[in-house]
Amino acid sequence: MKFTRVDRGDHTVLVVEGVLDALTAPEIRPTIEALVQEQRPCVVVDVAGLRLIDSSGVGVIVSLFKRCKAFGGVVRVEGLANQPLAIFRLLRLERVLCAKAKAPEGLGR
Amino acid sequence: MIRASIPGRLEYRDLAIRLVASACKLVPRGTEDFANEVVSAFSEALNNVILHGSGEAAGEIEIEIELREDRLMIRLMDHGQAFDPRTVPRPDLDSLPETGLGAFIIQSFMDEVAYTGGTPNTLSMTKRLKRATNR
Repeated sequence: MKFTRVDRGDHTVLVVEGVLDALTAPEIRPTIEALVQEQRPCVVVDVAGLRLIDSSGVGVIVSLFKRCKAFGGVVRVEGLANQPLAIFRLLRLERVLCAKAKAPEGLGR
Repeated sequence: MIRASIPGRLEYRDLAIRLVASACKLVPRGTEDFANEVVSAFSEALNNVILHGSGEAAGEIEIEIELREDRLMIRLMDHGQAFDPRTVPRPDLDSLPETGLGAFIIQSFMDEVAYTGGTPNTLSMTKRLKRATNR
């Protein structure tokens, strides 16, 4: 897995590529923790380059969503396709995490 | 029949998943959705064996994949602690759970799931192709 965090003002884009699973999820947790601690108001998780996700990977994204929501932040997932999309649909996360939120132009994809 | 054996460690997850993904392509009329669902279920089943079934203590994990014209069957065998995914309660999806989703994914995406604890523990999963009446 490869991930990149890009901050633009109040907005953060977290690009996640490859495989987010039980093996790789611990690698991204410190970044998730930092986003929560810094109370980033708007986080876009770009998963267009994500090949595979499992329940551990989903747990990381849901955790980010819930913890940001607790302080009034917004988390949105963009670029879902193929296997990750199948998982998000099954777990009914698409409607919660993929809803269009207020974000300035030029962010995400 | 396709047979493989991997050490019970997460580092070998991707290798096993790629094997199953490749096998899905050999199923006649297998679709991308079919492959995505099989790979997702297998991925969770493997996690269960490695994370809940004693991991390395489980020793080698044996994988058998059987291809039929209308279905794909996977058997996962290990010698660790028994863990029957069918006994895990269905998660409350509305509460956005962060854990406890693996067994639900397995049972939702596969048509038949059977488990026998013992030596070895055997998880059998079958995925059938949907009938082509709507195509």
